[in-house]
This record gives sequence, C-alpha cells and structure tokens, in this order.
Amino acid sequence: MKETWRLIDMRIEDAPTQMAIDEAIAMARLKENTPNTVRLYRWTPSAVSIGYFQSIEKEVNLPACEKYGVDVIRRITGGGAVYHDYNGEITYSLVAPEADPKMPADIMDSYELICGAIVNGLAGLGVDAEFKPVNDIVAGGKKISGNAQTRRHGVILQHGTILVDSDIRRMFQVLRVSDAKISDKLIQAVEDRVTNLRRYLGRPVDFDEARSALIKGFEDTFSVALEPGELTGAETRLVKQLHEKYSSREWVFQR
Amino acid sequence: MKRAEYKVPGGKLLAAELGVEEGRLVGVKITGDFFMHPEAAIIDLEKALCDTPVEDLDDVVNRFFQDNDVTLFGVEAEDFVKVVRLALEP
Repeated sequence: MKETWRLIDMRIEDAPTQMAIDEAIAMARLKENTPNTVRLYRWTPSAVSIGYFQSIEKEVNLPACEKYGVDVIRRITGGGAVYHDYNGEITYSLVAPEADPKMPADIMDSYELICGAIVNGLAGLGVDAEFKPVNDIVAGGKKISGNAQTRRHGVILQHGTILVDSDIRRMFQVLRVSDAKISDKLIQAVEDRVTNLRRYLGRPVDFDEARSALIKGFEDTFSVALEPGELTGAETRLVKQLHEKYSSREWVFQR
Repeated sequence: MKRAEYKVPGGKLLAAELGVEEGRLVGVKITGDFFMHPEAAIIDLEKALCDTPVEDLDDVVNRFFQDNDVTLFGVEAEDFVKVVRLALEP
C-alpha cells in the first residue's frame, strides 16, 4: 500500500498566517508526530515575501505596497523577493523529516527532488520545465517557479511559487528591481526572463487545473497518496503564536 | 555608514552595510538573496565581524567558516570578504 501524506489544500489566508502555518507544521512534525505534509495555497491580500537575509528597504517599494494594499512579509527561508499575486500565483510547501528515507541528506539534492515534483506537475499541464540550480524552475529558458528551503527541528521545509497568471507590471511596481523607472522597456526585459502558465501555454489556466496537476506531481514523485487533512490542535496553537511574530515590525524590518 | 553590493557571477546578490571606528568594523549588516544554512549563522557572522580590525577581515571570515558548520548556496565564504572590502572602499 502507498504511503499517505497529508494535503492541506488551497487555504486562502493573509501573509502572516501562511508563513505561520508553514513554520508551525515544521515545528510540530517530529514533536507531535504529525504526517509529512504538502500545502498548496494562495495569499489574500496579495503580498511580497522577502528572503530571510534581504534588506526590506532595498527590495520592496513600501509606498507602492501601501498604495496597492499589498502585504509585506519576511520568510524564514533565504532567497529572493516574490510577489504572491492573489489572482495569478500558487504557493506550495512541503514538510518532511531530514531523516525520511525519501529525502536526500544533501540540501541541493533535496532541492532537485522537491522541485522535480513541481516539474512533473507542470509536465501534466503540458509545460516542459526543468530545475535550474540553485533554486529556480525554468520553462523555455524563463523562470516559472522560485523555491526556498530551510532545515530546522530535524525537518526540511521547502516552499515555492508557481506563476499562473501574475500581473508582471504590478510585480515590478512593488519590488525594487532597479532604480530605473518601470518602463515598457523594462517590462519587456522582465518578460524575457520570467513567464507564467498562461503565457507559456498560450491559454488561461485556472487554479483548479493547476492545483490538480501539482498534486499529481507530488504523488508521482514521492510515490505517495496525498490525503486532504487539517491542521492539528497543537499546530493551530503554534500558528497563533507565530502569527504574532510574522506580523511584528521587529521581524519584518529586522534587516 | 558605508554600503556596497556585490553580485556573485552566476550566483546571488550580497550587500554589506557597516561603519569604521578607529580602524575597526562596527554595525556590520549583511543582506542579500543568498542561502545560508542554518540561517541564524548570519547573526553570528555579523557579531564576529563587529569590532574586527579592518586588516583582520580575511582571517575572521575564514575562521568563521572553518569553525562553524555552515552551508552556503549562491555565494562563497570569500564573497563575504569581497563585499565588505567593497564597502570599505572610499
């Protein structure tokens, strides 16, 4: 019989809640003997997440975020800034013990394996994508997914973004990419480097179709069945505590 | 405060913000889109750099990465020296 992992399916929450849930699942995994977990989720309101080491002032156009009602949050994972567009992006996360026989001990090998689940999921939609080290997935040479992993509490937490139909103009209004003003020329250059499912496939892809393909990608890659479930009571209590951290100025503005 | 950015060729962005008082580094802050495991090691590195005489920069960074079990992606230990040096340039 196939091993079963928990699927927490398409919760739509604000930025502090989403980041609190990912961390809570990682904290509880060994302590509370919870199952390995895959989450798919969307952010409301739309939000910018920055990597743990990034400078908020240098990476985020805070007045633009204020103007457009876009949340700003700092992740516990490294890597770059991501615009989580409510209408055009799916985030995933995966939590499993470092000692899980299915998880490579080597960090880069585990990136490749977990990103492989996304690559396989995208293949089901007709997207010919590949893992590009350190932490990207590209299709037709353009980035379609960014990923970030941390290891703590004896557990691997990897989360990442899949661009479905993101508003690239808004993305570059809220992220500080360069001092140059956002001109059509800059957006063109970005379109040369970044793509999304709609642009790549030349047709709209709804969230449900993308969601089903990603679930299958995880199931096939890890030879598991994903069974829909909810957070445990202990996890829910952790989420409440962590929500406070993620909403605090001390955390978000720490560097 | 002095600040410099350094994009590692084929890698990630690294930035350093710091001051110098009587030949020693103060208020060192390292930022960027790199990966460091464990993440909290960055705070230890910044602490190690603070109060370091400028001429000991290489030694302190090298010793930090020798003594601590830190894994880097997108940057290498020597890039931290490079970006601090860039920030120190007049």
